[in-house]
Amino acid sequence: MTDSLAVSVQPTAGEDVGEARSLAQDAWRSLRKNKIFWISVTLITAFVLMAVWPSLFTRTDPTFGDINNVRDTPSGAHIFGTDGQGYDIFARTIYGARASIIVGILTSLTTLIVGGVVGIVAGFYGGWIDAVVSRITDIFFAIPLLLGGILFMASFPNNPQSTPYLVIVGKVVLTLTIFGWPSIARLMRSSVLQVKPNEYVLAARALGASPLRIIRSHILPNALAPAIVVSTINLGGFIVAEATLSFLGIGLTPPAISWGVAISDALVAVRTYPHILLFPSLFLSLAVLAFILLGDAVRDAFDPKSR
Amino acid sequence: MRGTTRTVAVAGISAAALLLAGCGGGGDEGGSTDSGAAAKTGGAITVRGCNPENPLIAGNTSETCGGNVLDVITAKLVKYNVDTAAPENDIAESIETSDNQNFTVKLKKDYKFHDGTVVKAKNFVDAWNYTAYGPNAQLGSYFFEPIEGYADLQSEDPDGDGPQKAPTPKAKELTGLKVVDDTTFTIKTTEKVSNLPVRLGYTAFSPQPDAFFADPKAFGDKPIAAGPYKVDSWTKNAEIKLSKFADYSGARKGNLDNITFKIYQDSNAAYADVQANQLDVTDEVPASAQIDDKYKTDLPDRNLQKPVGVIQTITTAPAKVDPNYGPEIRKAISMAINREAIIKAIFNGTREPATGWVSPVVDGYKADVCGEFCKYDPAKAKEQLAKAGGFKGGKITLSYNADASHKEWTEATCNSIKQALGVDCVATPVVDFSTFRTLIHDRKMKGMFRTGWQMDYPSIENFLAPLYGTGASSNDGDFSDPAFDAKLKEAAAATDAAASNKLYQEAEGIIAKDMATIPLWYSTTTMGWSDKVTNVKVTPFGVPDYAGISLK
Repeated sequence: MTDSLAVSVQPTAGEDVGEARSLAQDAWRSLRKNKIFWISVTLITAFVLMAVWPSLFTRTDPTFGDINNVRDTPSGAHIFGTDGQGYDIFARTIYGARASIIVGILTSLTTLIVGGVVGIVAGFYGGWIDAVVSRITDIFFAIPLLLGGILFMASFPNNPQSTPYLVIVGKVVLTLTIFGWPSIARLMRSSVLQVKPNEYVLAARALGASPLRIIRSHILPNALAPAIVVSTINLGGFIVAEATLSFLGIGLTPPAISWGVAISDALVAVRTYPHILLFPSLFLSLAVLAFILLGDAVRDAFDPKSR
Repeated sequence: MRGTTRTVAVAGISAAALLLAGCGGGGDEGGSTDSGAAAKTGGAITVRGCNPENPLIAGNTSETCGGNVLDVITAKLVKYNVDTAAPENDIAESIETSDNQNFTVKLKKDYKFHDGTVVKAKNFVDAWNYTAYGPNAQLGSYFFEPIEGYADLQSEDPDGDGPQKAPTPKAKELTGLKVVDDTTFTIKTTEKVSNLPVRLGYTAFSPQPDAFFADPKAFGDKPIAAGPYKVDSWTKNAEIKLSKFADYSGARKGNLDNITFKIYQDSNAAYADVQANQLDVTDEVPASAQIDDKYKTDLPDRNLQKPVGVIQTITTAPAKVDPNYGPEIRKAISMAINREAIIKAIFNGTREPATGWVSPVVDGYKADVCGEFCKYDPAKAKEQLAKAGGFKGGKITLSYNADASHKEWTEATCNSIKQALGVDCVATPVVDFSTFRTLIHDRKMKGMFRTGWQMDYPSIENFLAPLYGTGASSNDGDFSDPAFDAKLKEAAAATDAAASNKLYQEAEGIIAKDMATIPLWYSTTTMGWSDKVTNVKVTPFGVPDYAGISLK
């Protein structure tokens, strides 16, 4: 950290001389040196690979239940053992990554988009628009994410026979988005309010730039960083929320394979065969940890004060 | 409350110890009421209860939460032997008939209700008329169907649940019931019924005191009956307190002074309390404790498992609703279900593979009626499916109600079918039991669905007539076979019990030919109790025999 500071104040030293670096470039330089960043990226890459290409990790069919072979402890044939239906736990755990990763990433993206747009509109235009939009945000902010999620999912139950996988997952994403966007919106609004009085914004306005152009090329690039950071940290939270809803039987429902469902199914045998519970819980914890660590590292990198 | 239980328990234990020291080895005859009666009467216990769905009215209770309480506070004409389920006279002095259609019931003279009034013939007749009368909407109403005049007490609502009211029925009283004098009444049935005395032990046939008819609503919170225990108080969602009825006139008096039903939402919590000796009896051992028979090490010598009169089956939608599940297809599916493995894996051996349509606990049961079609044989199943022309519906579906623990076994059953037949099978949840039953009742449910039958009274007839008779009330698959109906009629007319049972067995053979439903397994019930109590037994209905329990 001190090195980069030294570099930037001494224009004559180092190969970066004279080159103006953006906030993102700065952040990347600091991330590159962060061990935690690399650990989390490795974990996330592994989970994303599992989500995209599960057959890379296992050739076992996760929907093949061997009724004569239930609750097997880990062995050569089933390295994580089998669960109460005789499904291979390793295969179920690998295939379960897809639901969690899709829900996590999609929800983060949609909350960032919805919250971002709302926050920019409120912060940039101000006045009565700000008042109305902020109050709506407050209303949604007052509904707890999980309670709202339970209400929503219970009101629109899945039909496992006819509901396609993407709709099942999409419904969870929609639910979490509806109740998850206000925090991003608030953050974005305050961040826009900070950027708006800057001279370059005033200059652009004086030159007659349209509001859309000002937002696009001046406000957005300078106000987006905190929202991205919080979204990354939230990602882990959304994965947990999805698992919680699935655990309660109202999030992802079979045939979708999910860690939350697996944990819920494993509870009955927790006193006798705890390994059935262990593996999906372990993977869930690791995935959440990886995204939260990444968010932490990104926050450090984007925060100029820590440099 | 816990404190009280504990002190009483200590007192009970020391009393037992004193008595044992006094009379040596008297402990073996635990079952009979005379031996060690001094030590074994008295004391108080808590048992697991659950929230009754309705007020505690004998004619309006069809679930076990209220039923368990009613079972110990009511006395009926007949009671069932705890061990054999054989009917024995209780309030009835005698029930006589010469033609299976006209019955004369004589009552014992000294029976009293909890409020001190004497049980008279009119208490039965009035109670039965009340329960059978359509507009009273009592859940036990259908038990009175065989009695003459039942149809005149019913009326059809012209628009279902709509705003129009059902017209008032033609009559208010069953023509088949007549009071002769205070201790005698007669029953006339519409058709011949061979097993009426067996049926009379069901809770719906309880007498009701005069106080009931004055205010049935208030009565349900503090019912008055004629059984060995009476209700002291019912604190909603918390507990139901019973105490011994001093003037009980029956042969089998209760041992304990007080029984408290503590209401639990979760069988796991009740089980944990039994382990900690905070609760004395739980009639439900949760699945988590049944894995590898864990409850046997948790509660050594303090558990029991016994078959009860329940059979689980898979019914297929009637042909006009879903034509893809003909009799031959049903046979193929039945052979594709690995009953033994599913019972072992999912139920931890707490079920018995079904070999017919009648529970083994009843009189008249015959083993292996279903034959090879109820035995798992994937190769034969596939062959049978090919012979039947293959499955044309695309996916086999097996629907279940998701508010009870049916997910595991339906999923396992589907996996078994899928692997044996090579046809995709999906276990399909329906949100709750009432939605599930409505779909079935309205004939909107396609594919296969789970059905279970808990006997109302221990008779082979109860497993056949209401389920497979043409147009019968619980004939969910619209099974219809004139030969079967004729056989039922013939059996009902037979005056000799053995001859009648034999005819019912022949009727069961007829439904086997067309595989009316796919039999899965017979249920057992598992119970556990604390180390303070003894003599815990379970009736063939799966209810603990509360009156027989005593402290150690």
